[in-house]
Amino acid sequence: MTLRQAQAAGSPAPGARVIVIGAGLAGLSAALRLAQAGRPVTLVTKGAGGLGLSQGTIDILGYAPERVARPLDAVASVASEHPYASLGADAVAASIAWLRDELGPELLVGDPAVNLHLPTAVGSIRPTALAQPSMVAADVVGGRRYAVVGVRQLKDFQADLIAGNLARSTAPDGGPVAAHPAWIDLPARPGEADPTGLTYARAMDDESFADRFADAVHAAAGECDVVVVPAVLGVRRLGVWRQVSERVGRPVAEIALQPPSVPGLRLDRALLAQVKAAGVRVIQGAAAIGCRAEGGRVASVTVAAAGGPRELAASAVVYAPGGFESGALDVDSHGAIRERVFGLPLSASDAFALVGPDFWAPHPLFAVGVLTDADGRPVAGAEPVLSNLYAAGGLLAGAERWCEKSGDGIAVASAVRAADAIIEGSAA
Amino acid sequence: MRGEDVRTLSADVVVIGGGSTGAGVLRDAAMRGYSAILLDKSDLAQGTTGRFHGLLHSGGRYVVSDPGSASECASENAILKRIQAPAIENTGGFFVAVPGDDPDYGDRFLAGAKATGVPASEISVADALRREPRLNPGIFRAIEVEDASVDGWQLVWGAVNSAKQHGARVLTYHPVTKIDVADGAVRAVHCYDQRRDEDVVIECSFVLNCAGPWAGRISELTGLPPVPVIPGRGIMIAMNHRLVNTVVNRLIYPADGDILVPVHTVSVIGTTDSKETDPDHLPIPRAEVQQMLDAGEQLIPGFRSARAVHAWAGSRPLIKDDRVSSEDTRHMSRGMAVVDHLARDGVKGLLTIGGGKLTTYRLMAEHIVDAMGEQLGERRECRTASEEIPYAGGSSSYVVTHRLHDREADRLDDQIVCECELLSKSMFTDLLAEQPTSTLDDLRRQLRLGMGPCQGGFCGTRAAGIAVSEHAVDADRATGLLRLFLKHRWIGLWPILYGDQVRQTALDQWIYSGTLDVEHLPTPSEEVVR
Repeated sequence: MTLRQAQAAGSPAPGARVIVIGAGLAGLSAALRLAQAGRPVTLVTKGAGGLGLSQGTIDILGYAPERVARPLDAVASVASEHPYASLGADAVAASIAWLRDELGPELLVGDPAVNLHLPTAVGSIRPTALAQPSMVAADVVGGRRYAVVGVRQLKDFQADLIAGNLARSTAPDGGPVAAHPAWIDLPARPGEADPTGLTYARAMDDESFADRFADAVHAAAGECDVVVVPAVLGVRRLGVWRQVSERVGRPVAEIALQPPSVPGLRLDRALLAQVKAAGVRVIQGAAAIGCRAEGGRVASVTVAAAGGPRELAASAVVYAPGGFESGALDVDSHGAIRERVFGLPLSASDAFALVGPDFWAPHPLFAVGVLTDADGRPVAGAEPVLSNLYAAGGLLAGAERWCEKSGDGIAVASAVRAADAIIEGSAA
Repeated sequence: MRGEDVRTLSADVVVIGGGSTGAGVLRDAAMRGYSAILLDKSDLAQGTTGRFHGLLHSGGRYVVSDPGSASECASENAILKRIQAPAIENTGGFFVAVPGDDPDYGDRFLAGAKATGVPASEISVADALRREPRLNPGIFRAIEVEDASVDGWQLVWGAVNSAKQHGARVLTYHPVTKIDVADGAVRAVHCYDQRRDEDVVIECSFVLNCAGPWAGRISELTGLPPVPVIPGRGIMIAMNHRLVNTVVNRLIYPADGDILVPVHTVSVIGTTDSKETDPDHLPIPRAEVQQMLDAGEQLIPGFRSARAVHAWAGSRPLIKDDRVSSEDTRHMSRGMAVVDHLARDGVKGLLTIGGGKLTTYRLMAEHIVDAMGEQLGERRECRTASEEIPYAGGSSSYVVTHRLHDREADRLDDQIVCECELLSKSMFTDLLAEQPTSTLDDLRRQLRLGMGPCQGGFCGTRAAGIAVSEHAVDADRATGLLRLFLKHRWIGLWPILYGDQVRQTALDQWIYSGTLDVEHLPTPSEEVVR
């Protein structure tokens, strides 16, 4: 059967693969799940995915809008337009547990049913569901004393601000928080005044540097129950936190910095490695720019590759490109919102009506996205736009993910939903 | 809450308003030997002077519509390039006619330029396009002038620092509460020190009301019939890079959206003009944003797909007073309106100034201080045109790459706080040490903190944190300052949220809200507003 004949028959061409578009948490999760089920998968991505920009934990739901202690309970009562409403709390719980088990306890620990409350790099207390083992000792508990140790050469971890804000906070359990700042002076590389956290993390991959770091932290920290440090404890080598904790003699916990985020990059590296190990073909630097549809199905996805556009025959597509932050959704100078690759219908069309003058008010613009059916297929009205096209992650409408701290849970659960629909359905 | 203490000061003259007019007047008065105090309700150059397009006029804009102003601009342009070059980038300027523009206007322009002494010469279209390749290729005439780009904040801070060296005092965040008038003369100005929560009385014999669009409100504090001042609002949009390196004007009778000015790392298009009632609340209407984008598209094809980073509105102060306005007084600058309260109300020692242009701020100040001297019955020479204003870092005009040049020297020793604007940590901490009560916005105006493409996304928390570590503020106030900074950045962002700036703003939201959860920091004991 030729490609044309196969398309005319409404079934995928021989050799067609599931095309996953996007290498963020949603795209990587979908690709992994599909490949584990034996589906041939090609993952195409414009660039590095969003994990390296993230806090490196797995959020389910942090605010609704009040602080959430038990995220799965809160997921069960979201508004009907929220992505979680159609996913359901059970599916969210199962998806998150799957991801945790795939990545293993050296990268993710925690109970999806219970939020941790981790300090941020400005000293707020942020709810999240799963975290890296290097972070959990910072969980804010009343009565504990935290030493916040900054590195003079690292500008994105301002220990005085962090400690000052923690010290004037109340722990989620209602107890008082004690925190004090301390500083160490330790260049990551000789003669470099302005390194990023990633520079330090790479230095930590050398055990002797991690020892020197630990010794300096030990000397500076002072009286405390927990030492918190910038999230720079190694990017390739896992377990640096254990080495440092043992040498400091107290629990040491990392706080994620603004990008580049080392904990986010750890998740990115680990997931990408597993995706490749599972047999997924990964094509980086290949932005999806369109598709060819036949008989109500995506027949192929066109990517911009070196030398010109290239068509990849598709049995099904998981579209997980992110939202406004990646440019998958954009707004033209007249305020029209559009989805750039497939021209999918969106939950709203006029951006200018969705932003207002108050920075602290909700910004409904960032909840705009595609609406889907119960399987995660983008719909126009009630009908899927294309019968084998699935959406996942930040592209979905209905949640201000950053504000709620819900983006990771939405990404993983919607990716698993899309993958499972492809695995179970006739589409593959 | 108002404090119980009252501090009493005295001066020959109190200057109200820390914009370009007030700063110029303060310097001029101080150089003529008057003891002078400048008051502002907020920071220096935070009003109209900080909210313009950045154009130092050559005079070209006025050669047909207002020849007097054109001549004044031409001579002041030359003077300012001499006395405060470090606030100026010598970009040069073009007037270009785009398809549809009146083809004969260029001849009137050249004749007007000749008559008014504004240096101008026609260049070939090919030459204009070679020098500014993004210009509309359909332009059919181009005239070169001596426009430049001026940093209003550097201009004002330079003038004020010079005034201080001549003995003047400056009290910012000191709103005026009352002006005492007794026996036909001004006696004192009452103000309130917001930072120290303290009332201050300044005994004086002269008050120069240079409050711009707020001058009407100041005049109400005298108990005399108020001077009606109408704010004339104009909006400006900064595009994220230098679409042009030369000031580009339309070769037409002055209209809206006909100027594009390269300013530091951005280019600014302006402007509009509409009457407002409240200078503290100037809207940036969607329709005017669209009007600017359309106008930009005529000068630079593809302007709409360039990235807008920030928008703002400023207001021109227009005086409407038919009883006594000395707009036509022989020695007054054109475009400036002065209400002499001796003539109008029979009260000595009070002038209210409206109108004016930043380019002619020095000349306006000269004329105002002359008028004061005339009323005081004395004549002291003005020296502001000849004495250079000292700036740290030399006396040359700046170029767009100046910070890159500085960075080359310290890249191994110093950190960058704001990557977009190449602002180093030591630049930030040095100014913070000089002005420890500043808000992040006060520092921003002098340092350009957070004024580049990311609009504070990466530098805001660093700046707040460094301020705590430098012991300038505690974490409570630092958090309040960060909140205020983010709120203020947003005012100029939401009206232009399209294209790449939406993507940037989403990333900034991801960082501030997603990663840092900044909205759930413990609220400051009191929301910081200054």
